[in-house]
Amino acid sequence: MKIVNLLVVIITGMVLAYGTMDMPDWGDPDSPASLHVSPGYISDAVEKTATPNIVTAVLADYRGYDTLGETAVIFSAGMACILLLRRKRKK
Amino acid sequence: MLDFIIGKYNYWIYIVLMMIGFYAMIGKKNLVKKIIGMNIFQTSIILFYVSTAYKKGGATLPIIEHAHGHSEHASHAIEASSYINPLPHVLMLTAIVVMVATLGVALAIVLKIYRRYNTLEEDEILKAIK
Repeated sequence: MKIVNLLVVIITGMVLAYGTMDMPDWGDPDSPASLHVSPGYISDAVEKTATPNIVTAVLADYRGYDTLGETAVIFSAGMACILLLRRKRKK
Repeated sequence: MLDFIIGKYNYWIYIVLMMIGFYAMIGKKNLVKKIIGMNIFQTSIILFYVSTAYKKGGATLPIIEHAHGHSEHASHAIEASSYINPLPHVLMLTAIVVMVATLGVALAIVLKIYRRYNTLEEDEILKAIK
Protein backbone atom coordinates (compact mmCIF):
# COMPACT_ATOMS: atom_id res chain seq x y z
CA MET A 1 0.00 0.00 0.00
CA LYS A 2 2.92 2.33 0.78
CA ILE A 3 4.39 1.49 -2.63
CA VAL A 4 1.16 2.44 -4.39
CA ASN A 5 1.09 5.81 -2.60
CA LEU A 6 4.71 6.48 -3.46
CA LEU A 7 4.08 5.51 -7.08
CA VAL A 8 1.08 7.85 -7.35
CA VAL A 9 3.11 10.70 -5.85
CA ILE A 10 6.09 10.15 -8.16
CA ILE A 11 3.92 9.90 -11.28
CA THR A 12 2.06 13.10 -10.33
CA GLY A 13 5.35 14.88 -9.71
CA MET A 14 6.71 13.77 -13.08
CA VAL A 15 3.57 15.00 -14.85
CA LEU A 16 3.92 18.37 -13.11
CA ALA A 17 7.63 18.54 -13.97
CA TYR A 18 6.73 17.84 -17.59
CA GLY A 19 4.30 20.75 -17.37
CA THR A 20 7.10 23.12 -16.36
CA MET A 21 8.74 22.66 -19.76
CA ASP A 22 6.27 25.19 -21.18
CA MET A 23 6.58 27.64 -18.27
CA PRO A 24 8.54 30.88 -18.74
CA ASP A 25 11.98 30.97 -17.12
CA TRP A 26 12.27 32.21 -13.56
CA GLY A 27 12.55 36.00 -13.45
CA ASP A 28 11.87 36.45 -17.15
CA PRO A 29 10.67 40.09 -17.54
CA ASP A 30 8.79 39.16 -20.74
CA SER A 31 6.74 36.36 -19.17
CA PRO A 32 3.00 36.55 -19.93
CA ALA A 33 2.16 37.16 -16.26
CA SER A 34 4.14 40.41 -16.19
CA LEU A 35 3.05 41.71 -19.61
CA HIS A 36 -0.73 41.47 -19.73
CA VAL A 37 -2.51 42.96 -16.69
CA SER A 38 0.06 44.04 -14.13
CA PRO A 39 1.71 46.98 -16.03
CA GLY A 40 -1.63 48.77 -15.88
CA TYR A 41 -1.79 48.36 -12.12
CA ILE A 42 1.82 49.47 -11.65
CA SER A 43 1.48 52.62 -13.75
CA ASP A 44 -2.01 53.70 -12.60
CA ALA A 45 -2.01 52.76 -8.91
CA VAL A 46 -0.53 55.97 -7.52
CA GLU A 47 -2.63 58.19 -9.74
CA LYS A 48 -5.90 56.40 -9.01
CA THR A 49 -5.55 55.42 -5.37
CA ALA A 50 -2.77 57.73 -4.00
CA THR A 51 -1.13 54.69 -2.37
CA PRO A 52 2.55 54.09 -3.15
CA ASN A 53 2.39 50.43 -2.09
CA ILE A 54 0.70 48.68 -5.00
CA VAL A 55 -0.08 45.54 -3.00
CA THR A 56 -2.03 47.62 -0.51
CA ALA A 57 -3.72 49.56 -3.30
CA VAL A 58 -4.91 46.38 -5.03
CA LEU A 59 -5.90 44.61 -1.81
CA ALA A 60 -7.81 47.41 -0.14
CA ASP A 61 -8.90 49.56 -3.06
CA TYR A 62 -9.27 47.71 -6.37
CA ARG A 63 -10.34 44.50 -4.64
CA GLY A 64 -11.95 45.96 -1.55
CA TYR A 65 -15.01 43.75 -1.75
CA ASP A 66 -12.78 40.70 -2.06
CA THR A 67 -11.06 41.69 1.17
CA LEU A 68 -14.46 42.18 2.80
CA GLY A 69 -15.34 38.61 1.78
CA GLU A 70 -12.00 37.49 3.19
CA THR A 71 -12.90 38.89 6.58
CA ALA A 72 -16.17 36.95 6.30
CA VAL A 73 -14.10 33.80 5.72
CA ILE A 74 -12.00 34.50 8.81
CA PHE A 75 -15.12 35.25 10.84
CA SER A 76 -16.89 32.05 9.82
CA ALA A 77 -13.73 30.02 10.50
CA GLY A 78 -13.47 31.53 13.95
CA MET A 79 -17.15 30.87 14.63
CA ALA A 80 -16.76 27.26 13.45
CA CYS A 81 -13.79 26.79 15.81
CA ILE A 82 -15.73 28.24 18.74
CA LEU A 83 -18.81 26.10 18.04
CA LEU A 84 -16.72 22.94 17.69
CA LEU A 85 -14.48 23.43 20.69
CA ARG A 86 -16.85 24.79 23.35
CA ARG A 87 -17.61 22.50 26.22
CA LYS A 88 -21.21 21.82 27.05
CA ARG A 89 -22.43 23.53 30.18
CA LYS A 90 -23.29 21.15 33.01
CA LYS A 91 -26.92 21.36 34.06
CA MET B 1 21.12 22.87 -21.00
CA LEU B 2 22.48 24.84 -18.03
CA ASP B 3 20.26 27.79 -18.93
CA PHE B 4 17.32 25.43 -19.02
CA ILE B 5 18.07 24.10 -15.52
CA ILE B 6 18.66 27.60 -14.13
CA GLY B 7 15.41 28.82 -15.63
CA LYS B 8 13.29 25.95 -14.33
CA TYR B 9 14.85 24.65 -11.13
CA ASN B 10 12.68 26.74 -8.81
CA TYR B 11 9.54 25.11 -10.24
CA TRP B 12 11.05 21.69 -9.57
CA ILE B 13 11.75 22.63 -5.96
CA TYR B 14 8.11 23.60 -5.50
CA ILE B 15 7.00 20.35 -7.14
CA VAL B 16 9.15 18.36 -4.72
CA LEU B 17 7.70 20.30 -1.78
CA MET B 18 4.17 19.80 -3.09
CA MET B 19 4.71 16.07 -3.54
CA ILE B 20 5.99 15.81 0.05
CA GLY B 21 2.73 17.35 1.20
CA PHE B 22 0.71 15.16 -1.17
CA TYR B 23 2.39 12.01 0.12
CA ALA B 24 1.64 13.05 3.68
CA MET B 25 -2.00 13.58 2.73
CA ILE B 26 -2.53 10.21 1.06
CA GLY B 27 0.06 8.02 2.76
CA LYS B 28 -0.09 8.83 6.45
CA LYS B 29 -2.63 7.37 8.84
CA ASN B 30 -2.45 10.07 11.51
CA LEU B 31 -4.94 12.88 10.96
CA VAL B 32 -2.65 15.65 12.23
CA LYS B 33 0.07 14.50 9.83
CA LYS B 34 -2.46 14.66 7.00
CA ILE B 35 -3.37 18.23 7.92
CA ILE B 36 0.27 19.31 8.12
CA GLY B 37 0.77 17.70 4.71
CA MET B 38 -2.08 19.78 3.34
CA ASN B 39 -0.40 22.86 4.81
CA ILE B 40 2.91 22.02 3.12
CA PHE B 41 1.01 21.54 -0.16
CA GLN B 42 -0.61 24.97 0.10
CA THR B 43 2.67 26.61 1.11
CA SER B 44 4.38 25.23 -2.00
CA ILE B 45 1.64 26.73 -4.18
CA ILE B 46 2.08 30.09 -2.46
CA LEU B 47 5.85 29.97 -3.01
CA PHE B 48 5.27 29.13 -6.66
CA TYR B 49 2.96 32.09 -7.21
CA VAL B 50 5.26 34.53 -5.41
CA SER B 51 8.20 33.30 -7.50
CA THR B 52 6.32 34.06 -10.73
CA ALA B 53 6.16 37.71 -9.64
CA TYR B 54 9.92 38.15 -9.82
CA LYS B 55 11.53 40.02 -12.72
CA LYS B 56 15.22 40.00 -13.45
CA GLY B 57 17.04 43.18 -14.33
CA GLY B 58 16.86 45.53 -11.35
CA ALA B 59 13.16 45.30 -10.53
CA THR B 60 12.37 46.18 -6.92
CA LEU B 61 9.42 45.71 -4.58
CA PRO B 62 6.08 47.04 -5.84
CA ILE B 63 6.24 50.26 -3.82
CA ILE B 64 6.42 53.32 -6.04
CA GLU B 65 9.41 55.52 -5.23
CA HIS B 66 8.90 59.28 -4.81
CA ALA B 67 5.14 58.88 -4.85
CA HIS B 68 4.75 61.34 -2.02
CA GLY B 69 6.10 64.81 -2.31
CA HIS B 70 6.27 67.42 -5.01
CA SER B 71 4.58 67.12 -8.31
CA GLU B 72 7.75 67.25 -10.43
CA HIS B 73 8.78 63.90 -8.96
CA ALA B 74 5.40 62.30 -9.53
CA SER B 75 5.14 63.62 -13.06
CA HIS B 76 7.70 61.30 -14.65
CA ALA B 77 6.33 58.08 -16.02
CA ILE B 78 6.44 54.87 -13.95
CA GLU B 79 8.22 52.05 -15.74
CA ALA B 80 6.42 48.73 -15.29
CA SER B 81 9.70 46.84 -15.78
CA SER B 82 11.33 48.45 -12.73
CA TYR B 83 8.80 46.98 -10.25
CA ILE B 84 8.03 43.30 -9.74
CA ASN B 85 4.52 42.04 -10.45
CA PRO B 86 2.25 42.96 -7.49
CA LEU B 87 -0.75 40.80 -8.41
CA PRO B 88 0.59 37.38 -7.31
CA HIS B 89 1.46 38.91 -3.95
CA VAL B 90 -2.08 40.18 -3.48
CA LEU B 91 -3.67 36.91 -4.52
CA MET B 92 -1.40 34.91 -2.22
CA LEU B 93 -2.28 37.21 0.67
CA THR B 94 -5.87 36.09 0.11
CA ALA B 95 -4.73 32.46 -0.20
CA ILE B 96 -2.82 32.67 3.09
CA VAL B 97 -5.99 33.84 4.81
CA VAL B 98 -7.95 30.89 3.40
CA MET B 99 -5.10 28.54 4.37
CA VAL B 100 -5.10 29.71 7.97
CA ALA B 101 -8.90 29.40 8.13
CA THR B 102 -8.90 25.84 6.79
CA LEU B 103 -6.02 24.87 9.10
CA GLY B 104 -7.84 26.21 12.15
CA VAL B 105 -11.14 24.52 11.36
CA ALA B 106 -9.42 21.24 10.46
CA LEU B 107 -7.46 21.18 13.73
CA ALA B 108 -10.65 21.96 15.67
CA ILE B 109 -12.43 19.03 14.00
CA VAL B 110 -9.46 16.76 14.75
CA LEU B 111 -9.55 17.80 18.39
CA LYS B 112 -13.26 16.95 18.47
CA ILE B 113 -12.52 13.53 16.94
CA TYR B 114 -9.82 12.91 19.54
CA ARG B 115 -12.20 13.73 22.40
CA ARG B 116 -14.78 11.29 21.02
CA TYR B 117 -12.56 8.33 20.03
CA ASN B 118 -9.35 8.90 22.06
CA THR B 119 -7.21 8.26 19.00
CA LEU B 120 -6.06 10.06 15.87
CA GLU B 121 -5.12 7.00 13.83
CA GLU B 122 -7.42 6.60 10.86
CA ASP B 123 -7.76 2.80 10.95
CA GLU B 124 -8.54 2.77 14.68
CA ILE B 125 -11.25 5.39 14.16
CA LEU B 126 -12.73 3.35 11.31
CA LYS B 127 -12.71 0.27 13.56
CA ALA B 128 -14.44 2.18 16.33
CA ILE B 129 -17.14 3.46 13.97
CA LYS B 130 -18.11 -0.04 12.73
